[in-house]
Amino acid sequence: MTITLALPSKGRMKDDAQTIFARAGLNIVAVGNERSYRGRIEGLEDVEVAFLSASEIARELGTGSVDFGVTGEDLIREDLSDVETRVAFCARLGFGHADVVVAVPQIWLDVDSMADLGDVAADFRARHGRRLAIATKYWRLTQQYFSGSHGIQLYRIVESLGATEGAPASGSADIIVDITSTGSTLKANHLKILSDGVILRSEACLVRARKSEHDSHPAVQTILSKISAVV
Amino acid sequence: MSAIDLPGCAADMLSAFQSLGVTRVDTPVIQPAEPFLDMAGEDLRRRIFMTQSETGKALCLRPEFTIPVCLRHIETATGTPKRYAYLGQVFRQRRGGANEFYQAGIEDLGESDVARADARAVSDAMVILQSVLPTTQLQVTVGDQAMFEAVVAACGLAPGWQKRLIHAFGNVAQLEQLLEKLAHPQAVTGLEEEVEAYLSSNDDAGLIAHIDERMEATGYSTNASRSPVEIAARLKEKRELARVALDAPTLTLLRTFLSLDVPLSGAVDALTRFADEAGLNIGAALTPFAARVDALAQTVDVTAIRYRAAFGRPLDYYTGLVFEITALGQTAVLAGGGRFDRLMTLLGATHTIPAVGFALWLDRIEQARQRNEQARGQ
Repeated sequence: MTITLALPSKGRMKDDAQTIFARAGLNIVAVGNERSYRGRIEGLEDVEVAFLSASEIARELGTGSVDFGVTGEDLIREDLSDVETRVAFCARLGFGHADVVVAVPQIWLDVDSMADLGDVAADFRARHGRRLAIATKYWRLTQQYFSGSHGIQLYRIVESLGATEGAPASGSADIIVDITSTGSTLKANHLKILSDGVILRSEACLVRARKSEHDSHPAVQTILSKISAVV
Repeated sequence: MSAIDLPGCAADMLSAFQSLGVTRVDTPVIQPAEPFLDMAGEDLRRRIFMTQSETGKALCLRPEFTIPVCLRHIETATGTPKRYAYLGQVFRQRRGGANEFYQAGIEDLGESDVARADARAVSDAMVILQSVLPTTQLQVTVGDQAMFEAVVAACGLAPGWQKRLIHAFGNVAQLEQLLEKLAHPQAVTGLEEEVEAYLSSNDDAGLIAHIDERMEATGYSTNASRSPVEIAARLKEKRELARVALDAPTLTLLRTFLSLDVPLSGAVDALTRFADEAGLNIGAALTPFAARVDALAQTVDVTAIRYRAAFGRPLDYYTGLVFEITALGQTAVLAGGGRFDRLMTLLGATHTIPAVGFALWLDRIEQARQRNEQARGQ
C-alpha cells in the first residue's frame, strides 16, 4: 500500500513543514518541476507527497484519502466531528502557533469571563431585540465551547471568512471567536480576550488518519519515529 | 402525507384529537431556519437539516411543530384562544433513532385560565397515550419554573444572582456549579484606576461619560449594541455581587428544595412544609400550583404523577409547568410539554399570549406498543 503524506502547498507553513522533515532525514523532493503539487520522500519509495491547502488537508484526513497530513490543529478540530476516533495527533511541530480565542470589545468593562458573557447573552434578547451575535469561521469550536463547556445557548453565529476582528466595531456582530498569535490585531481593533476565553492553543501538527493497515506498515513507522525524534 | 408511511398509532391518535375538539393544522415541511435557531440556540444548527433558497435565505426541514404552529397563530388568530393539533414528520439528527420521525401534539394558545389549560395539557397527553398504549402503566413527572423562581426570590438573593440561577434551572450540573460559585465569590479585579475611582465614589454619570468617551474614540459608538449605561450598570451590579457570599443555611435550603421529589398529591403539603420551615414566602407561586393540582385531580388519576422540584428546561421561554411522560420504569420520553408564555412575544406577537402544549414521540410509542404485543404473545 502506498502512503500519502499531505503537506501545505504554500507560504511559511510549507517551508516550516519541509524543514522539519529535512531535519528528520526525510528529504521532500518535488516531482517534475519546482511548482508541482506532487512530491516524494527520498529513500521511501512507497510514500507519495501531495501539496494541498491547509484546510483541504484537514478534510482529506477526515475522509481518510490521505494517510498523513501536516496542518493546524484548529482546522482539524473545526472541520472534523469525532476527531479522536478518526485521526491521531502524532507530533506537535512547534510552528504555526495560533490560539483560538473568545474576544469582546475592550469597553465591555463588566465582561472578563465566560460567566459574564453568559449573563450578557441571557439578557441580550430582552435588551436588544436579538440574540448576542458572534462573528467567526469556527462554527464547531464555538458551539462546543459555548454550549458544551459553558452552558451558553443563547447566541447566534454570524459567519465571517475574513477581517473578523472588525465585526464588533462595524456592528455585524457583538463579539468574535478567532485565531490570534500575538494579539496585536485584536488590540488594534480594541478587543480583549476573556480570562477563560482561550478555546484552543493550536499549532501545526503531524496528523495521521486512523487506519488499521498503518500498524505494520514500515513507511508509516519510519515517518512516525523519525519525526518524533526531532520535535 | 401518504397513509402507508404513517405509524400504526397515528389513526388512533387522530381520532383522539377529534374527540378532544382540537383544530388539526399542517405546516410546510420546509421552514425558514431563523426562528428555530433564534429560539433554541446555535446548538440546534448541527442537528437540523439546512439549505438555502435561491436568494440565500436559510431554510430547514421542520425540526418540530411548536414554532410553526405558534407563528401561524400569531399571523392568523391573535386574540382568540385556540387549541391546535398536529401530526406529521419532523427532521432532526438524534443520538439514538432515525433522523426523520413522526411527532404529534397539541398547542393550547391564548387560554387565560392557566390552571385549567395546564391541567388539560397534562391530562390530554395522558389520555392520548393511554388510548394508544392501553396496557402500559404511565409515569408522569411535572416541574415548575415559576416555583424555582419564587424560591430564589424569597431567599432574598441579589437580582443578578437570581437571574443566573433561573437561567441555569433545568441543567443540574450547571446549577450545581453556580451554587458553588455563589458560595465562594471572587472579587472583581483588574479595573483601571479611573474606572475604580468612579465606582468607589458612586459617580454613575462620570462612569457612563467615561465609557461613552472611550467608545467614541475607538469607533465603537455608531454600531454599538451595548450602551455605556448598560455596561456601567452591569459593572456596578457585578462588583456588588462579588462582595456577598451565599451563606451556608441558604445554600442548604436551595439544595433541599431542589431535592424535593414527591407524589403530586402530596406536593402542595411538601412545598408548604418546606416554605414554613425555611421561613420563605412562596405563596405567589404556590397558589397557582395548588390550583393546577386541583384542576388535574378533577380530570385524571394523579397517583401516576410525581413533582420533581429540579425538573425544568434550560430555555428562556418556559415560564411555568413542565412535564414529561414515560412508561413506568422506562427512560424513553413518550410525551413532553410545558408552558411557554414567553415564546409568543419572542416570535413577534405584539401582546402576551398564554401558551401551553406538548409533543408525542410516535416512534417511541410504536416501540412501546411492540413491546406490549410481544409481552402479550408470550
